[in-house]
Formats: sequence, structure tokens, C-alpha cells
Amino acid sequence: MSTLSARAWTLAVALSVLPAVLPADQSLQVAPLSREGRVLVSFRLDNAFNEDIRTAIHSGLTISFIYDVELKRGSSLWFDRTIASEKVTAAVRYDNLARRYQVTRTQDGRIERVDATEREEDARRLLTEFDKLPLFTSEGLEPNAEYYVRVRARTSPRNASFVWPWERHDVSATAKFTFIK
Amino acid sequence: MATTLRDARRPTLPARPAPRPPVRERRPFRDNPRLILIGLVLLLAALAGMVWLADQSRELNPDFLSEVVLYALSAADLTMVIALVFVLARNIVKLAVERRRGLPFSRFRAKLVLAMLGLTIVPSVLVLLVGGELIRSSMEQWFSDPVDVVLRSATEIAGDYYQEREKIVRDHVLRIARALPAEAVDTGDLEAVRALIGPEVTQRGVGLVEVYRIPAAGAAPGPLVAVESPSLPRGHVRASADRLAAKVAAGDDRPVHEQLAEGGELVRAGALVRDPATNRTVGVVIASDHLADNLAQHSRRIKEAFENYNQLRVLKRPLEGVYLSLFLMMTLMILVSATWMGLYLAKRITRPVQMLAAGAREIGAGRLDHRIEPETRDEFGSLVEAFNTMAGELAASQRKLDRSRLDLERKNQQLDERRRYIETVLERIATGVVSVGADGCIETINAAAVRLLGVEAGVIGAPLDAAFGREDLRPLGALVQRVHAGRAEPAAQEIALTREGRELHLAAAATPLQGEDGAPAGAVLVFDDVTPLIRTQRVAAWRDVARRLAHEIKNPLTPIQLCAERMRRHFGSAPPASRALVDECTTTIVGEVESLKALVDEFAQFARMPAPRAVPSDLDGVIRDTLALYKGLFGQIRLEHRPAEGLPPVRIDVEQIRRVVINLVDNAVEALGAAAAPLRPGGDPPSIVVATGHDPGHGVARITIADNGPGIPPADRDKLFMPYYSTKRRGSGLGLAIVRRIIAEHGGNIEVADNVPAGTVFTIELPV
Repeated sequence: MSTLSARAWTLAVALSVLPAVLPADQSLQVAPLSREGRVLVSFRLDNAFNEDIRTAIHSGLTISFIYDVELKRGSSLWFDRTIASEKVTAAVRYDNLARRYQVTRTQDGRIERVDATEREEDARRLLTEFDKLPLFTSEGLEPNAEYYVRVRARTSPRNASFVWPWERHDVSATAKFTFIK
Repeated sequence: MATTLRDARRPTLPARPAPRPPVRERRPFRDNPRLILIGLVLLLAALAGMVWLADQSRELNPDFLSEVVLYALSAADLTMVIALVFVLARNIVKLAVERRRGLPFSRFRAKLVLAMLGLTIVPSVLVLLVGGELIRSSMEQWFSDPVDVVLRSATEIAGDYYQEREKIVRDHVLRIARALPAEAVDTGDLEAVRALIGPEVTQRGVGLVEVYRIPAAGAAPGPLVAVESPSLPRGHVRASADRLAAKVAAGDDRPVHEQLAEGGELVRAGALVRDPATNRTVGVVIASDHLADNLAQHSRRIKEAFENYNQLRVLKRPLEGVYLSLFLMMTLMILVSATWMGLYLAKRITRPVQMLAAGAREIGAGRLDHRIEPETRDEFGSLVEAFNTMAGELAASQRKLDRSRLDLERKNQQLDERRRYIETVLERIATGVVSVGADGCIETINAAAVRLLGVEAGVIGAPLDAAFGREDLRPLGALVQRVHAGRAEPAAQEIALTREGRELHLAAAATPLQGEDGAPAGAVLVFDDVTPLIRTQRVAAWRDVARRLAHEIKNPLTPIQLCAERMRRHFGSAPPASRALVDECTTTIVGEVESLKALVDEFAQFARMPAPRAVPSDLDGVIRDTLALYKGLFGQIRLEHRPAEGLPPVRIDVEQIRRVVINLVDNAVEALGAAAAPLRPGGDPPSIVVATGHDPGHGVARITIADNGPGIPPADRDKLFMPYYSTKRRGSGLGLAIVRRIIAEHGGNIEVADNVPAGTVFTIELPV
């Protein structure tokens, strides 16, 4: 019984420190660009396609990479003001018979594109790299003012902890830009 | 003696408030069986829900499982932990407060809760740990290397097969696309196209070949001709081939799989048909190969098994979390339930006892109308009912006692008033009353008895012999002794006592007292001062004698006087010697007759003294006027008048009182030696002091006439006021008798006593 109890305690401690799906060394690169009345946002999630993600994708589960993108303006006296926000999702489902990845990109629930590829690298790129997404309009932005875009990435389903499931392992990054009209 | 007692105000019981009906308070949850039942049902429903959730957890959407279920369970666990901590902390604080206040049963409740918690927390935590380990090990056993290898290999095989079939179909469609004449496709020459693709179906085993024509660059491909093998199952849809043709035309030539309604599936692949000369795309060829139903199903099952297996592995952590959360929730429910049950049992046990203790304190404090609301119908409820019954009976007994006490107080009050009334009567009456107890000791003696007998009031409690041991009281003592000893019946006797030189006549009656059982309880002696009555009787007798004497003596005096005067006239012419003799004799006879007449007149006056006509008068004025008559008559004697201050008018017959004063002053002057009064032995001048006084307490005005003469021997004092008693040679002996009679007629009293240091003092008391 003592051995069993010790193992149980070990289990409890281990459960409390298990990492989330996203590895700790991942990083997010964000690059906003204002052009032709739109704010184009490019971002890339590095080191996200680790073995756990790969196993989860190859299990046939639909794995979603969810990116919360916010256009914000800094404030020295109060909380930063959120001007606009978008949720960009890239979901992948792998067919183990056809050995093909089907990646669906949505933006605020709208399907933007569906891609199928047999190459994992293509799937990774489709899931983690977004180039010049016209997410926000620049109308209403103050010329020559400084704004920033914050992107927060997470995966679903969560590999949440039993002891404290609210612990977030999201990855976020910000990038400033000056709106020049 | 008729006694009328004023009705004593009847005491009444203080208004006792009616017994307060127990206030029915809202029953708390712990005492409400319906709520408890609902709680148990909800608890069981929660447990059933948890069991169902645990059973369905593997089937749940992974997002729902990890985003909702696990969060909800963790939130529920956290809530229950907080609830448990709150309940425990609250009870610890309450225990500390109750112990500080010294409230009863706090330790018992704490012990019971701790016992229940201790009985459950150890096995619950052990079960939680062991169960968690079992869950973890069970989930570990879901995954094993052989199963993993088998499933992975099978999936690889199925995938390779699919890939192979796709490759075959792709090879077919590429060969057909190269073989098809672009012109025939472009011009829609169906015969030429069918002639080419027919052998592919019949000879090369391709299940279905469909050719689409693209009339112009960028246009959508349209179906041109299709050749189908007779062995191909029906159910494939044209739309699937149309979509694939469009995809291929758009550049996506990946094969697709189409499920057939009759079983199996089609592996479709497409290729573009180009014009070699212009390299223009003129059409699309779709070749389809049929996968048998069982083969397709097996492949799909292999894939599903593999994916389920791997999804479990991927979702192992959330699933573990769900199971452990459910297990933790059940453990917490047990702990919370045990804690609550401990509190509930403690309340159930201690609350009635606390209520009984509080009720006993209320009853002990005299609040007999206190009742306890029975909250249960079990043994505690019966105990509470018995307590309430006891309290009711106590209240009824207390009310009876109160009524009895009030009745007793009322009777005691009446007896006390009657006793005080009797004591007052005894104190105020002139009759002397002495009671002797069974032990022969004086029990009561009233003021009249003290005054008449001349004993101290402190004689109460003294033996009869000692109290009546004085020589003059012995006859009374003997009378009481006879009755007290039971040797005589109630007896009345007139007894003459000599007290302070005066004769006192008492009419005494002694009566034996008997208790309720007839036993001797002592005796009571009642006596009245009948001295004035006897004096009155004597005076009346003397008046009668005087009247007869006056009548018998006065009649012959006039003839004697006339005869004597006749003899003197007859012998007026006789010789001088004879005439002198006759004159001397007749003068003597006439003089004596005159004396006798005066004496008889006094007798007659004594006998016929009129009733006084009393009017309110200034007593000191009367005395002053009377004493004025003596001014200058007796130069050696100092006559002094000391009037009282504030003496009210006294109802007197002025002439009679003046006579009294003259009589007494004359007696005093004579006692002092009249005009030739010598100095007194101490060198003091002879003096007479007439003073007045007022005694509001007794309602009398007092006149004292004191001299410093030789005084009156005690033996003569009582005889002073008797008629015909005189210490003077020529006194008639009626002066003081008349004085006493006048005073008596005024309702007063006269006494004589020694004047200190020398002489005599007469004291007259007249009612004011």
C-alpha cells in the first residue's frame, strides 16, 4: 500500500506539472503592415509542430491552431484600448488511409480556404504561417499614431491539467507599427 | 365586646401572563425531512450523472471534453473544497467562540464532527489515492506496444493498399488520357472516344471511364461519354465525377474516394486530355475502380481503430483529469456529507438537550410559562413533551401555592388586625387584664393592669408568684392560683388593695383557660377599679344620712333657740346676778344652736349640692381671681400662681371650682399656721403654689395646689375625702368631701400626695 500511495502522490504531482500541447520553446513572430486601407498581419508560429502535435494530428483528431489577433493602441494611463479583434483558426485533419492532410482556414467562423496536401511540411506551413492577412480596416486609425498587433496562439483540444485546468500555455507576441496615411 | 373589623382588602393574585404559545420557527434544512429527501435525490442524481459522464467521456467531443467538462468538474471540485474548508473553519471558529463563552455541548459537537470526519477522511483519501492510481494504471494498460504495432501495421497495410489502388487508377487514367485523340474529344466524336475507352473497361478491368469535354479554355468540363463495366455496383453518383473533373481541370488531380450506396467505394482519379499540337486542354478523363465492400470496410475499421487508439493516447491526459475529477468529487462529497452529517447528528442530539437545559434554567428562574417547541417526534420529542407537561404541572402547582399563600397572608393580615384591635382595646380600656400561661407565667398584661397594680410592664414572662408576690397583690395572686390550678371554678371577688397609702378596691374575676383538647391552658384575670364607685356609694349613703340628720336636727333647733331667747327676756327684770347667769346660759344656748344650724346647713348643702353648669372658661383666670381674695390676709405666707401656657378653655362651673380652690387653699393656709405661719424647718418661707398644666396626651387640664407644710400622714390620705373626717378642731369634715364631689361631677379626679421636699400637693385633673 505504501508503494501504491507513493505512486499515487507521484501521479498527482506529475499531473500538476504536465505541459500543455504547445511546447515551451515555441515562439510567435508578428509583422503588421498598413496598406490600401487595410491592416495586413503576418504571423508565424515557430516550433509548434512538435511530436505531440504530430501524434495528435496523425491520430485523426481535428487539431485546431487558434490565433486571437487584436489591433490595439497603447495607453499610458489606462489599459490599452482594443480597436478590433479577429479569430483566425487553422484546423487540420489527417486521413490515415489517403495519407493526406486537409487544412481548413477560417476567419471569425468564415471558411477562407481549404487545402489538402500529402506533405507534412505543407500542412505545417498552412497551420502556422499566415502571410499578410487583411484582418482589419485602417479606417478610423489616427495617422502617424502608434498601434500594435497582438497575436495569441493556442491549440484545441487542450491538454489541460487535472489539478488546475485554467492554467494557460498560450503563446503570444506583439508588434508595433505606425499608421501612416 | 362587639368587635367590628374593617374588611381587609382582599389580596389578589398578581396577573400572571398566559403561557406563551411556543413560537413556531421556520424549520431549518437539517430538520426538514422533505428538504433532506430532495437533497439526497439531488446527490444521487449528481452521482448518477458522474457515472454517466465517466461512461460517456470517451465518446465526447474532445474539445467539449477538454474545454467544458474538465473545467466544470474542476470548478465543482474547487467549490466543494472551498465548501468543506468553509464548513470546517466555521465550526472551528464557532467551537472556539462557544468554548470561550462556556456554552454547553460545544466540545461534544466538535468531538462528534471530528469523529465523523476522522472516520471518513482517512478511508476517503486512501480510496482517492488508490483509485487515482488504479485509473492511471488502467489507462496505461489501454496502450501497449503490441497493440500499437499491430494497429499501426494494419493501418500501414490498408494505407498501402489504398495508395496502390489509387496508383493503379491513376496509371489507367493517365494512359487513357494519352491514348485519347484530342480532336475526337474536342469535336465530340463519341464513337471514336467510346471505341478507345471500351477496351479499357472490357479488357483492362477499369470499372468506369468517363470523358469530359472542355469546349474552350477556362470553361467548365462537360460530360461527353461514359463506359461502365457491368460488374460495377450501382449507386455511384454523377455529381462526384463532375466535381472531380472540375478539380482536375483546375489542376488538382488527387484521387478521391466515393462511398457507394450498395457497398464498397470507388477510387476515382482524373487526368487532362491535351491537344499535342497546341498543348491545349480539350477534356478530362475520370477513371474509377471499385473497392469491394468488405475490403473497404475492413480498411475503414482498421483506420478507425488506429485513430481511436491514438486519440485516446492524445486525450489521455484530459480523460485522466475527468476521471480523477470525478473521483475527487465523490471523495469531497463524502467528506462534505460526513461533516454535514456529523453536524447534523450533533445538532439533533445536542439541540433538544440544550433546549431542555435552557428550559430548565427558565423554569428555575421562575418563568413557569416557558415551553419548548418539539421539533421532532422521536424520543427527544417525547422528552420535550414530558418537560412541557412537567412545566405545566409546575405552573399549576405554583398558582395553587400562590393562591394558598395569598389566602394565608390575608388570614394572617386579618388575624393581625384583630390582634392589634384587641391589643388596642385592652390597652385603652380601664379594666385590667392579665393572662397567665399554662406554665404559670404572665403572658400578657395590659396598661390598665400595670397602672392599677403598680407593676412594671416587663413583668411579662415572670412567674405568677413573682409578679404577684408583693404583699398587697397576694390576694389577686391567690385568686389566679386557685383558678389556674383548677381548684376553683371561675370566680369573682372584690379585693381591697392598699397602694401608696391609698385604698384601692378592685372587682376581680379569674377564669381558667382551656385548650382545644380541654387541657388547662392558663388563666385570665380581669379586674376593675371600683374605688370611685364605692366612694360614690359611700357619699350617697352619707348624703342620705346628712339629709336625715339635717331634717331631724334642724327641726328642734328653732324651738330651742326661741325658748332660750324667751328665757332671756323673762329674766330681763331679774336680779343682776340671776340675769347675768341667764344671759350667759341663753347666749351659750343660742350660740350653740346657731352652730348646729350652720352645721346642719352644711349637711343640707352637701346633700343637695346642685349639678355643675359647666361652660368653657378661662381656668387660670378663675384661679387668679380667687387667689386675689387672699391678697394681704396672710402676710407670712407666699401665695404664688403659676399659670400654664396655651391652656385651652375648660368646661367648668366657675363658682364650684372657685369653691374648690378656696377650700384647698384654706386647708393649706391652715396647715401652714394661718397668719402666724412660721418659717419652715429649712428656713424657707411658708408658701402655697397654685399651678395649672395641660396634658394634651390624656386630654386633661391639671391644677396642683402645693404647700410646704407638715404634710399629711399616708394613713390619713384616703380618709381625707370622706365626709365628717377632719383634722381640724372645728371642721365639719365635709370640705374635701364636697371638693371631691365637685371634681367628680366635672368628670375629673383629685389625688393627694406628698410635696417634695415637704408638704402636701393636691392634683386635680379636669377633662378638656
